[in-house]
Amino acid sequence: MEYRHPEIANVAKQLKARLKQTQDKKAVLRAPELLALIERIKTLPVGKRATFGKEVNLLKAELEKLVRESLFPKPSTLTPIDVTAPFDTNLSAEDRPKLLPAENGSRHPLMTELELILDIFARMGFTAVESRELDDDWHMFGSLNFPPGHPARDDYDTFVTDEELVAPAHTSTMQNRVLKAGKKQLDQGQPIAVVIPGRTFRNEDVDASHEHTFYQLEGVYVAKGIHAGNLAATIKAWLSNYYGREIEIKIQPFYFPFTEPSFEFAASCPFCDKKGCSVCKHSGWIELGGCGMIHPNVLKEAGIDAVKYSGFAWGFGIDRLVMLKYGIEDIRHFHSGNLKFLRQFT
Amino acid sequence: MKISLNWIKSIIERDQCSADPTKIGIDTLVEKIGAQLGAVEEVIDLGKKYEGIVVAKVESCLKHPNADKLNIALIDDGQKIKTVKRDKQGLVQVVHGAKNVIAGQLVAWMPPGATVPSTYDKDPFILEAKELRGVVSHGMIASAKELGLGDDHSGILVIDESAKPGQAFAKVFGLDDYIIDIENKMFTHRPDLFGQLGIARELAGIQNHVFKSPAWYKENPTLSKPNGRAILKLSITNQSPKLVPRFCGVVIKDVKIGESPLWLRTRLAAVGIKSINNIVDITNFLMMETAQPLHAYDYDKLTNGNLGARLAKTGEELTVLGGKKIKLAKEDIVITSGDRVVGLGGVMGGADTEVSNNTTKIVLEVANFDMNSVRKTAMRHGLFTEAASRFTKNQSSKQNLAVLIKAIDEIKKLAGGRQASQIIDKKVSDYDERVIHVNSEFVNSRLGLELSPVTIKSILENVEFSVGISDGNLSIKVPFWRTDIAIAEDIVEEVGRLYGYDHLKLDLPERSLSSPDSNTKLELKQQIRQILSTAGANEVLSYSFVPSSLLEKVGQDPKNSYHIRNALSPQLQYYRQTLGLNLIEKVHPNIKAGYDNFALFEIGKCYFKGELDKEGLPKELERIALVVANKNSSGSSFFEAKKFCDYLLKELGIDSFVYEPVAAAYKPTRATYYEPSRSAHLKISGHMAGWVGEFKPQVNAEFKLPQFCAGFDLHVEELLTNASANIYQPLNRFPSLEQDFCLRSATKYSYAELEDFMRQQLDKLAGLHGINYDIAALDIFQKPADKNLRQTTWRITLWHPDRTLTTEEANKLLDIIAKAAKNKLKAERV
Repeated sequence: MEYRHPEIANVAKQLKARLKQTQDKKAVLRAPELLALIERIKTLPVGKRATFGKEVNLLKAELEKLVRESLFPKPSTLTPIDVTAPFDTNLSAEDRPKLLPAENGSRHPLMTELELILDIFARMGFTAVESRELDDDWHMFGSLNFPPGHPARDDYDTFVTDEELVAPAHTSTMQNRVLKAGKKQLDQGQPIAVVIPGRTFRNEDVDASHEHTFYQLEGVYVAKGIHAGNLAATIKAWLSNYYGREIEIKIQPFYFPFTEPSFEFAASCPFCDKKGCSVCKHSGWIELGGCGMIHPNVLKEAGIDAVKYSGFAWGFGIDRLVMLKYGIEDIRHFHSGNLKFLRQFT
Repeated sequence: MKISLNWIKSIIERDQCSADPTKIGIDTLVEKIGAQLGAVEEVIDLGKKYEGIVVAKVESCLKHPNADKLNIALIDDGQKIKTVKRDKQGLVQVVHGAKNVIAGQLVAWMPPGATVPSTYDKDPFILEAKELRGVVSHGMIASAKELGLGDDHSGILVIDESAKPGQAFAKVFGLDDYIIDIENKMFTHRPDLFGQLGIARELAGIQNHVFKSPAWYKENPTLSKPNGRAILKLSITNQSPKLVPRFCGVVIKDVKIGESPLWLRTRLAAVGIKSINNIVDITNFLMMETAQPLHAYDYDKLTNGNLGARLAKTGEELTVLGGKKIKLAKEDIVITSGDRVVGLGGVMGGADTEVSNNTTKIVLEVANFDMNSVRKTAMRHGLFTEAASRFTKNQSSKQNLAVLIKAIDEIKKLAGGRQASQIIDKKVSDYDERVIHVNSEFVNSRLGLELSPVTIKSILENVEFSVGISDGNLSIKVPFWRTDIAIAEDIVEEVGRLYGYDHLKLDLPERSLSSPDSNTKLELKQQIRQILSTAGANEVLSYSFVPSSLLEKVGQDPKNSYHIRNALSPQLQYYRQTLGLNLIEKVHPNIKAGYDNFALFEIGKCYFKGELDKEGLPKELERIALVVANKNSSGSSFFEAKKFCDYLLKELGIDSFVYEPVAAAYKPTRATYYEPSRSAHLKISGHMAGWVGEFKPQVNAEFKLPQFCAGFDLHVEELLTNASANIYQPLNRFPSLEQDFCLRSATKYSYAELEDFMRQQLDKLAGLHGINYDIAALDIFQKPADKNLRQTTWRITLWHPDRTLTTEEANKLLDIIAKAAKNKLKAERV
């Protein structure tokens, strides 16, 4: 680190040298030279105070880091370890490594919920395929009937890399792959029935109810003679299963380039049975996700005969389900790594 | 997209609809819109904003006795407002500062208790009777700005229509309105729904009413002719016919620029458009009605009566309306006059050809621009105008002439003037009328309904499709404004939506009894979660993206990370290369929060630039990382991390693994935070499967880690390949014998070498006698002063499946092993 103020540079040099020699490393942080610099800040004219003060703070931070580092023994000074041994030499039986108490352990609530949801879909006949977290534009948009430059792309605030790769904003980025892979199955008279869980991304600012990183589950079903009523029935069936009670569903028109017709779906509020509560904001309904009949161009892109076969797809967020379920007030807890949050789950 | 119900009613009142679609009441209508048109974002009761404001007549004007700039008006409100103080004639005294108040005028009076409409949404200002320099003012006389009807606050708003004192202002001017705001996203594919006309049609259609567009709204209207002899020159040159499929224009002269009538201003205000002047307001009114943007130029500011369309040239600039100067890109469509750029095609007009108060001749442009090009231009220059948001929905070029002729009519009515040129119509070619052939069975099969061809016909004809039926085959002529209808599935959508999705039959698809394939990798990850949480570790999820500063702190080169070029936050610049780093970052905050001893783990993906998969895409490196920390412990934390790793491997049924020491000088590119001299490579069946280790002192210092802190980064794929079911050993029916066995050996032999030796010996000898065995490390001891020798003790358990083993047998066996150890390892049994 270079310091522009000669006074500070000088103290830096002195104190770094002292740090090497002294036994009491922490004393360096209380050195009179450093305290004098801090005192100096107040005496300076306002115009110079900022730059000087900033450098003093940098020096303080650098010294703190060096002191911390010096407190860790240098690897070369430590007794070498035998990495093939189950425990260190001369360790009494009670000091040997131990696992932590099982009751401290926890699985992330998003992942636990996903397992639960995947289990329901497995019972309904769906195979799970995980989504990618870095993909190309063609899978995210092109294969899904978003021509280049299409304004519908604006609705997906997508992260883009220097190579024009994208952080998928929806798990639909896997649709073309699962359709292609399932084509053989269709020819053998079996439906394509796949659910796609995955981490998805939107380039937006984070607050208590917005995250740039979230989790989605996509479902794809293709067979002969599939219609929009099948779609609504399938979503209703899984929701009723998930909430352990009869759920009503409402589908409303929407627009996605990759489905035609496209819908948004809402579930009757499972927390108040449509009577109105704070969870559903007294509307009796909870909006959950998007769905629709797969656009023939999307089927064709995967080599599937769009006259002979039809299908539906739907997607929804896992985060929201979990927040509703436990009444989690801030979406930022999910990625906080905060044990106070994590250990509340099993 | 803001819908004004009064506007819709005015379209319906032209008697074009079989029934009024708004009469079902606002709540039912909003619900129906949600179910059959698109999600409603907000419903605004505009009437509330104008509540209490009444029309009043100015009876007399007086000077304020104590202030030069203030005046007093005595107004007649038809004695409508009960709570206000009046003089003997029943007039109300209001103080104002406007210069344009004359006796006899009709004005909008905001009595005490009314809210100033322009403040309604933000910080409502409620009027009261208030003394101004010694004279009491009962409320205020409103300016256009205070009413939210324009920018003019120089004087009060003078009511130009026939109205009576005491009438509710909102009622007279149609502001007793509901504004229904529908998410624009819903209409990405519906050019027609960006106009009130299209919405009116749809509101009729979803209620099974027949809608007919006004007579003037047609594809091939009769062209109006110039009026009188004085014809002005107009030429249109289109050098980009691909991007500008149609460009129509006309000159109108002798127009009188002025304020728009109040009805027009209120109509625009209701949908959030500011009034500018009569000409601009008419163009905006028609855009809001038909979704077709128009633009008016001052004819005298053009070069030789010329308008053109072409791509911009490098270096060209344009000052757009409002004064912002932009540098044009060569992909921008521009409108030119002669050599000059006078507008950004489809986005915004230029400032120097703007219609001003002195304008007497105008050119009207009704053109059509390529949606993708307009979108890019709007984004490039940050100009998200009403025009751009409509052109990006692919407006039909077949409505241009109708809109142009309608505009000429309206201008004649509201601004005077005469058509002074032929209508010029530059078009590439007429695209064919679209006819979709579809079978009613197809429509029914996709919707799961049983609609008759006649029902389908009437559903579609309500919204002006024209349908021919023969044998259940429908030939459907698409109305000219519906550029979105191209394939049979679009008809399915149209029929389903207009008919109502609440009619769908909820049948589950039929399925066979065959079970779906399982996803072994996903199941393995679920199993790992279970195992590690049982070991007391806590699963975390951390971001896939990290800032460069974090990578650099541990010596990972950001060049090896995929770089996100448009991240809003600098925290999200790079894809992570490892998972462990994210976990390390989360240790200190938890220590600070009071947790002394814990383990965090994550299962996730990371990337390393240049590594590609079969698809040629970045390889998704699936990893499991764990970090264990104990604030109150010292010693070699390596073994603690290894303990977790051993447990995980054991539970996964993996046994063919070794921990290989790492050379102290080894410089990894990814696992840069591990201290090589205190780390190991985990190898499973000879394959590299990850790192286990303590962290470098700099890393410990940088992240304020406790002294006892270590972790691992493992490869999911390797675990998946090697995981197996548990192995079962039949229970021994005969008692087993336990013997402790201690060897003093040279320190050059690693523990693993010794254990391998022991196992080989036991395999050979015990196997020879049909004896089974188990071996477990009991103790490792080295005298502090002794650098050369170490003692390792095992507990060996021996049993025979068919009989009881004698101590003698066991001792004999161990003696042989001791002898072998002496011979081969020069190790002493102790």
